[in-house]
Amino acid sequence: MLAHQMALESPMVQAEMVEAMEFPDLSNRHHVSGVPQTTINDGAGAVVGAVPEAHLVAEIQRALQSA
Amino acid sequence: MTEKLLDKAIVGQVQEVFNQLQEPVEVLFFGQKDGCDYCEDALQLAQEIVDISDKLSLVVYDLDENAEVANLYNVDKAPGMVLAGRDGDQLKDYGVRYAGIPSGHEFSSLIHDLVLVSSRDSGLEQKTREFLKGVSKPVLLQVFVTPT
Repeated sequence: MLAHQMALESPMVQAEMVEAMEFPDLSNRHHVSGVPQTTINDGAGAVVGAVPEAHLVAEIQRALQSA
Repeated sequence: MTEKLLDKAIVGQVQEVFNQLQEPVEVLFFGQKDGCDYCEDALQLAQEIVDISDKLSLVVYDLDENAEVANLYNVDKAPGMVLAGRDGDQLKDYGVRYAGIPSGHEFSSLIHDLVLVSSRDSGLEQKTREFLKGVSKPVLLQVFVTPT
């Protein structure tokens, strides 16, 4: 999984796969509609679907800048 | 005797993927006594998976009774799993975690993540690796999935 690859690569990155049905409160809070949905830093950014590396990188960049 | 979650055919397929395992990986499992509908199945699944290869090991914690360990690995959900690299008696936490029981499609994600952590190499594109080198703030990625 891409998020886990990033976690392995960088000590700054942690990645958690969350089974949405088992944790409905968290999923609702992040408005999970389509899966997989990748949420960055508790909602600073989000990507829906399985996306290419460059796409997730761009969204992480955007989320870090807006923080 | 409890019935196995993984049948022989699945175990055979997993064994084939596990031929690629390189370095040891330890699975840290976090359960919880109350209100955890999936903990029992998740633990059984984790046990059956690590039993397939001697490069894999499992250690079981309780989210409440072992709160310091849970904090150390940033685990706040049960069932929860951390895939850590084992080097002798040292564990290396890469921040690779699972919350909930990895069934369906996520079962194969877990199998491949075990191989990933075992390789100690992210396999990412060079550009992505360079970007990540420059990241100086903590990034938490939470990937929401459903078991279909």
